[in-house]
Amino acid sequence: MPLLRVKDLVKHFPVRGGVFNRVIKKVHAVNGVSFDVERGEVLGVVGESGCGKSTLGKTIIRLLEPTSGTIQYDGTDISTMRHVELMPFRRRMQIIFQDPYSSLNPRLTVQALLREAIRFHRIVGRSEMDEYIVNLIRKVGLRVDARDKFPHEFSGGQRQRIGIARALALHPEFIVADEPVSALDVSIQAQVLNLMMDLKEEFGLTLLFVSHDLKVIEHFCHRVVVMYLGFIVEVLSSERVHERAQHPYTKALLGANPIDDPDDRRPLTVLQGDVPSPFDPPTGCAFAGRCPIAEERCRHERPVLERKKAGHEVACWLVE
Amino acid sequence: MIRRVLRSRGVRKLRQNRWAMLALGVIGLYVVVALFMLATDAVEGIGQRTGGFTIKDRPVLGMLLVDKTLDRVGPNSVPGFFLRDRPERRLEHHQAYLDAVERALNAKDPEAALAELRFGSLRPADLGPDKLRELVDEGWALFDEVDEIYEQIDEAEGQSPGGDQATAPGAGEGEAPNIADLDAAVSDKIDQIEPIVRALFPIPDGLDGFLYRLKMLLGTDRQGRSILIRTVYSIKIALEVGFVTALLAVLVGSILGAAGAYFGGWVDHVVIWLFSTFSSIPSLVLLTVLAFMFTGSRFDGTLIPLYTAFSLTFWIGPCRVIRGEVLKVKELEYVQAATSIGFGRVYILLRHILPNTAYLMFINFSLLFIGAVKGEVILTFLGLGLKNGASWGIMISQSASEVIEGRFWQISAATAFMFGLVLAFNTLTDALQDAFDPKHVS
Amino acid sequence: MPENESTTRDGEPVLKVRHLTTRFRTDLGVVTAVQDISFNVYAGETLGIVGESGCGKTVTSKSIMRLLPEEVTLIDEASRIEFAGLNLASASEKEMRRVRGDRIAMIFQEPMTSLNPVFTIGWQLDEALKYHTKLNHAERRARAIEMLRLVDMPNPEQRIHEYPHQLSGGMRQRVMIAMALVCEPDILIADEPTTALDVTIQAQILSLMNDLKTKLSTAIVLITHDLGVVAQVCDRVIVMYAGRVIESAPVRDLFHHPRHPYTRALLDSIPRAGTAHAGKKLPAIEGIVPSLFELPEGCRFNDRCPHRRTLDEAQRRRCVDVEPDLSEHGADRPVRCHYPLVDVTVKETA
Repeated sequence: MPLLRVKDLVKHFPVRGGVFNRVIKKVHAVNGVSFDVERGEVLGVVGESGCGKSTLGKTIIRLLEPTSGTIQYDGTDISTMRHVELMPFRRRMQIIFQDPYSSLNPRLTVQALLREAIRFHRIVGRSEMDEYIVNLIRKVGLRVDARDKFPHEFSGGQRQRIGIARALALHPEFIVADEPVSALDVSIQAQVLNLMMDLKEEFGLTLLFVSHDLKVIEHFCHRVVVMYLGFIVEVLSSERVHERAQHPYTKALLGANPIDDPDDRRPLTVLQGDVPSPFDPPTGCAFAGRCPIAEERCRHERPVLERKKAGHEVACWLVE
Repeated sequence: MIRRVLRSRGVRKLRQNRWAMLALGVIGLYVVVALFMLATDAVEGIGQRTGGFTIKDRPVLGMLLVDKTLDRVGPNSVPGFFLRDRPERRLEHHQAYLDAVERALNAKDPEAALAELRFGSLRPADLGPDKLRELVDEGWALFDEVDEIYEQIDEAEGQSPGGDQATAPGAGEGEAPNIADLDAAVSDKIDQIEPIVRALFPIPDGLDGFLYRLKMLLGTDRQGRSILIRTVYSIKIALEVGFVTALLAVLVGSILGAAGAYFGGWVDHVVIWLFSTFSSIPSLVLLTVLAFMFTGSRFDGTLIPLYTAFSLTFWIGPCRVIRGEVLKVKELEYVQAATSIGFGRVYILLRHILPNTAYLMFINFSLLFIGAVKGEVILTFLGLGLKNGASWGIMISQSASEVIEGRFWQISAATAFMFGLVLAFNTLTDALQDAFDPKHVS
Repeated sequence: MPENESTTRDGEPVLKVRHLTTRFRTDLGVVTAVQDISFNVYAGETLGIVGESGCGKTVTSKSIMRLLPEEVTLIDEASRIEFAGLNLASASEKEMRRVRGDRIAMIFQEPMTSLNPVFTIGWQLDEALKYHTKLNHAERRARAIEMLRLVDMPNPEQRIHEYPHQLSGGMRQRVMIAMALVCEPDILIADEPTTALDVTIQAQILSLMNDLKTKLSTAIVLITHDLGVVAQVCDRVIVMYAGRVIESAPVRDLFHHPRHPYTRALLDSIPRAGTAHAGKKLPAIEGIVPSLFELPEGCRFNDRCPHRRTLDEAQRRRCVDVEPDLSEHGADRPVRCHYPLVDVTVKETA
């Protein structure tokens, strides 16, 4: 049984306005997304801004309320659970945020931050608390004296490590990593990614790794989910993604990445036009407006995510 | 924990700001004085309640009790810093002293009257009624001489070119007495009266003498009360009004604003409605209504009308500011992190959100403090504030008539002390913003 | 098949930076953000300045444009920025105003905050033209439209009347480029122009910039931390670290034969497309960039340098005690290292 099963998950944000604060528009952030995450897997979710990947991650751990659809964690439907029932699940599902500068409360020391969470879920008793925290801090590669410091005394990469420590403090099974290295310097990204790899093994974690950076996703994840305007357009394993990708958007995404080899200056795949508005998703395929091979059918009928091969799903009328 | 606060970046930045530290020092000074007055008031209160003792007569401890602000310490409208006033005024002052002794001497029981006679800490000399009578008569004699000289001055002025040649008894030609000489003569005579007055009311040595000089340092008002004592006492009133108003306004405003922003929905609608409505009431109308309500009631003349006016209006500022900040902070990722750990909403509001808005509360407190101090002056002027005792508002409104006569001591003293406090707070507010507000451009 | 054999270094450089040192007054003391930077920019070439946050690349570009806050910035007297007969480091504000926008233009990372939200883009393009040229209204309008067409903006006649918020991020960046090029400057400084954009939009903008390079002969100084972008677009590269230039080379040389250990470690640590390395740990650089307030005596990269392992005691001592100077290792190939890597070939493509 997969650890996480998401079915037809929808998340819309109402935009209020007008004289009586009525709902005048809706942001269609996530539009009926379904996928599974197996235990021990690292599933990557990739897409550009506005594709709904962050919203997806946050909705799965109930940081946001789903508009409709189900989220099954370890067999239990947690999509509509109330606060109290959700508590044990909160312990098992954690999140790492993108921005190291706003993800830590500036008024709490590292110790206070960790202690608060540990104590709330009664992970360890009072006498073992200190040791537990020290261990945790060391595990994420920080010095022990970090525990009495405030976030502003650390660099971006170190703050991200603290965020990771916070996520691990409750000994979770499942972590949503929302662009955890995107805000970090290049040389620090590698450090933090390595750290996450180690910790994943050590703690036996299952990860949902959200990112816009295909290179990182390919390196780090077992499988990849590609999103566009709130829809999943392709799901495939990350092995030899360049060769195996089928959906035109995935191919464009792969082709748009600048290759760091000056001898290989093939023309980058340039998609014309901009992403359509999330207020008004088009009736047909969301990508039809920019797709180099779009046909009439694509503009009127929205393609369904279908299994083309084992472990490979594509939502496109023009792919066999 | 204190060490941790002191180590935080904002506080460290504040400590480096020299003007801010100076301002804090000044405010500290004011606070210490106010506390002293509160303490002596409390002690006196206890003393009276238990009937055991009183400190009213203690020279230093009793100096700033509320009753002392109404004590006459000298003649009316004496200038400060022991400056020499105009001759007419000096005559008035000396006359006051002589009159006081004369009245006591003419009383049914001169001994008792003399024993009770006070000008601040000055008592009549212990020379016995006869000797005192002598001195008084000497004084009056000199006064008569001064009157004569004044007559001569009048004549001389009557004879000056362009003036009427109406009355000119005596020598009318050539021998025009010089007005300047006559003025000098008047001054001399007044100088002669001084030692008499001094003899009547000797300035004691030591502490009492020092205190007398201190009380006269800024002069007296129209009723002979020490301007210095009244000004310093007003510090207590100002700090009380400022502190209580600012504290309540910030607390109430912050709670409402935070609740509205965090819980949203109808709570927010109520809060918005409240501050929109209250801020739309024109202040003049509000004050007029309050004045009408309170005049003649048993709260008239207390601080209650003042507090009512402030509490209806001052909470709006902090409410808006804190509401805005909470709206922003609640979207930050560390708040989301707290949610994902499973903390309840109220816990998150109290433990994660509000402490991060604390700096705004301090800044608002500072601003409202000043607003209340200034507001007290304005409202007292309009008749809504204290009527008895002393406060800067009372002093300034009472000095209206003095200013017309060219006597600026009361209004200057009150204004100067108020200016010091307000400037210190303004500097502090600015420094707080520099140190704590990440968006503020210093 | 390299497309852009950029040896357009015929003749004098358009911009000569010599010994640029910029310091800032902060409440923790005076800090040196960039130290003794020297480089040339030649016409028609794209120079990349690469480095991580805090290395001083933005400070360098803003020093050239003199866009740093006057009250706290101290540009060293010995600094020279020679352009069009002026020394920009010491030029007056009046002289700088004539240069900015007209001869040297700059585009920034965040197009939303670089464009004034209350004016139409037509107005903003017009403004630059009005200030720097003597064209009349009709001519300026025509030029603005021409510029928008040049940056591949669809429907320029209509877009002229739109406001920044009506455009997407990619469009806004195009407008920024148009505004920058409208007076045909000699140099375009682009400070992380695509960092805030999605990768498909980035591809559009990079393609555009390559296009413009061939159409106009503007020199481009491209500041970025993305080595992929550098590989695709730049002709020469300068690598900066903690306020110093540590290596400079033609782009192929830099990627295939990096000499400075930092450059090599950086290239190694980036996850590469291609799966020979998937799932394995990345060779990461340990440690963090030194704080500019606590710079070491010797080499600034020393405590993170993986090359140290191959040195003996005496050599390591030298790295700790003495900061290396820039030394030439081949034509136009300065490296700031006591023991630079020799003939290392990197990048076996997967």
